[in-house]
Amino acid sequence: MADKAILYDATKCTACRGCQVACKQWNDLHGVKTTNRGTYENPPDLSWDTWIKMEFREVGNNGDLRWLFTRRSCMHCTEAACVEVCPTKALYHHELGFVAYDKEKCSGCGYCVEACPFDVPRSGSGAITGIRTMNKCTLCQDRVTNDLTPACVKTCPTGALQYGDREALLLEGKARVASLGGNATLYGEEELGGLHVLYVLDDSPDVYGLPLDPKVPATSTVWQDVLQPIGWGVAGLAALGLGFNYVIAKRKIKIESEGK
Amino acid sequence: MTTAKGKAKSTPISHTFFGAPPAPGDEVLERYSRPVRILHWVNAITWIVLFITGLFFFVPQFGGAASGGVSGLLHRIAAVIMVGWVVIYFLGSPKAALRGIGEAFKWGIDDIKWLQAAPSYYFFGDEKSMPPQEHMNTGQKLWWLTVLGAGGLMIVTGALMWFFKDIISADAFLWSAFFHDVGFIALLSFAFLHVYLSAFHPKMRGIFWSMWRGTVSARYAESHHKKWYDKVKKGS
Repeated sequence: MADKAILYDATKCTACRGCQVACKQWNDLHGVKTTNRGTYENPPDLSWDTWIKMEFREVGNNGDLRWLFTRRSCMHCTEAACVEVCPTKALYHHELGFVAYDKEKCSGCGYCVEACPFDVPRSGSGAITGIRTMNKCTLCQDRVTNDLTPACVKTCPTGALQYGDREALLLEGKARVASLGGNATLYGEEELGGLHVLYVLDDSPDVYGLPLDPKVPATSTVWQDVLQPIGWGVAGLAALGLGFNYVIAKRKIKIESEGK
Repeated sequence: MTTAKGKAKSTPISHTFFGAPPAPGDEVLERYSRPVRILHWVNAITWIVLFITGLFFFVPQFGGAASGGVSGLLHRIAAVIMVGWVVIYFLGSPKAALRGIGEAFKWGIDDIKWLQAAPSYYFFGDEKSMPPQEHMNTGQKLWWLTVLGAGGLMIVTGALMWFFKDIISADAFLWSAFFHDVGFIALLSFAFLHVYLSAFHPKMRGIFWSMWRGTVSARYAESHHKKWYDKVKKGS
């Protein structure tokens, strides 16, 4: 099946945060009580109960102040570090391309929380038991697999969010970037094998707080590609060596006791 | 074969499995105190729980067994019991504990000779070139060093991932997981060796019972731990 994606056009976003509300409403996530920190940006961070959040940035440019908005949520990477490190395979790639997860399978180890290059997954409570199940954007799996658009896209009043075939959205994003001109960029086409959330930005991604070259942490690949085979090798050699020793020593000891 | 089978019927199955302990009339020496034996078996049981629940995380094919976090919880409970019991033992008999740890670090020329002679002994039963050994032989010292080193590594990396997860950086967490795996591999392979040599090696049959009853036969002590045997004999 063709990959689906969300296209976020920062130049059309008014930061109304309707997407945040729609996400909480559809996914039945609790509101979080926060305090006024002197910004419209709220709540302060993603959390177990907050899967999408608009970021506000004031960027000064030769006395010309720009107020930039960014959408912060799961990027649904093709080369997803979280999927790579998940021991229980609770996190997986859905056939539509996004990164889905099975809550029942999550053990709460928190590896994904640490491995994500975008710092998106969040652990729940339970620091003592260690069962801190993860939560993050599901790309409204229950909606998109029933021919509905994700809640955030559905509610977006300005058309800053679109949902559709990734290929089509890539073309649309490129056209939009071309018409914007200047420093405008399309983010997410190649990053980590291709993200399933694409960004039309009016400036370089780092101005919007996005990593220019996001990477899967080396440790998460070393674990499965290097340590696993070494583990099997060492354990196998140990077992083999001991078996070998047993066969030889057993014969020798028998002869000895017969000689007695 | 038929005689061996007939013999097995009259002996307890545990003797068949682990080898026979010293016979009732044999002279025995006290080798492991009761606190040490309890410590050993608390360690062994929690180790097995830690090993199995850890394996669920380490091997992707077994990952499904960790679903829901129950195995992770068991892992933590076992870890607390294991470490807690070490602390209890240490507080109960600090002198013996320090002496025991010290044994692993006392190395001499006989340890080198032991390493040279060990292969032909453990494969062919060649006892002639085996040097006299202390209470702990060189192989046991190596195992003991592995337990202390890798065990310490497991405690530190495990505690980092458990209690300091929210404080340490993502890289520190991921490297902790990495070194927890390294320690796992080291302990796993040496534990194979430990169990084999202390229960199933043809030359070591019956030695298993020393960690159960606390005693070894004087004959075994003299042939395997001559220096220790002499000290005990002098003392008594």
